[in-house]
Amino acid sequence: MTGLRGIAVLIALAAGSGCALAWFAARTEKIARANRQAAETRILRELAGAEVDVRATGDILVCEPDLIVAQGRGRGYGGELRLAVAFDHEGAVRAVRVIEHRETPGFGDILKPGAPWIESFGRRRDVHAVTGATVTSTAVMAAVARVAQRGGECLP
Amino acid sequence: MSVFAAAAIRRNPAWAQLLGLCPLLAVSNTVANAAGLAAASAVVLVGAAGLVAAIRGFIPKDVRLPCFMLVIATFTTLVNLAMEAYAFALHQRIALFVQIIVTNCMILGHVERVASKERVGRALLDAVGTAAGFAAAILALGAIRQFVALGFPLAAMPAGAFVIAGLLLALTRLRTAR
Repeated sequence: MTGLRGIAVLIALAAGSGCALAWFAARTEKIARANRQAAETRILRELAGAEVDVRATGDILVCEPDLIVAQGRGRGYGGELRLAVAFDHEGAVRAVRVIEHRETPGFGDILKPGAPWIESFGRRRDVHAVTGATVTSTAVMAAVARVAQRGGECLP
Repeated sequence: MSVFAAAAIRRNPAWAQLLGLCPLLAVSNTVANAAGLAAASAVVLVGAAGLVAAIRGFIPKDVRLPCFMLVIATFTTLVNLAMEAYAFALHQRIALFVQIIVTNCMILGHVERVASKERVGRALLDAVGTAAGFAAAILALGAIRQFVALGFPLAAMPAGAFVIAGLLLALTRLRTAR
């Protein structure tokens, strides 16, 4: 008898919890999405310059001989990651910004703006994988190479 | 008042019970982060304590822990959603630690020991006291770490958190030992 009562109480609580969460998620979803989009726009503007309409353009945001900005995807340890790369017509990378990732917390720290590893893309040509974060760092390196190659084709 | 003071000081979750130390160490690198996590923990703690105290008569003893976890998880998710919508910059810095409030022993311990046995008013007062005690602990640690890091960068790193938290703990033990 207590078993049945326990089940009933758990079901009732779970239903109440589900309703409360569904209601609140529906209320906040729009604002949260706008926040995420604003953060993404800020990152892209930082690379491409303020005058570019980052939402209207596709994967290639800027295509000029001295500055190409393109975005693309890669497969990291925790799933898909998205990044944007700024480089010139010779393929020399100036900056890499990871827009979205699902790497294990802590391991993703090398991807934050200002982190020495992610900033090293803009300073040197031979970026190495990071010991202890091999999958994450090689995924980013492969994605950067792919984005830079595809983005470079935008020039005649 | 004595309920509040006892919960905040004599049974301080961090320094007396050594509960909730994972977020305490991880998010106390700056005062702003510490304040954000203290506020989020307080909402979950007080909300869960109030709700559990209100429905404690309906919860059979053998399923009380799943019930408590459901309530705590619900409040944690609500706080996380609210933070993503209304405090996005803070959310980007401490979201992970807001999400794991659900596993904070300070909260489950409080619900099991106090909220499931007391009337709503008393449970709420005790929860507010516990939350204030946790907030005081994490803000103190955050302020000390941020200040010391100005001249001694180790303080802002994880190792510095252990050293300074250990020294603070020793200090509080020294006072109670006398």
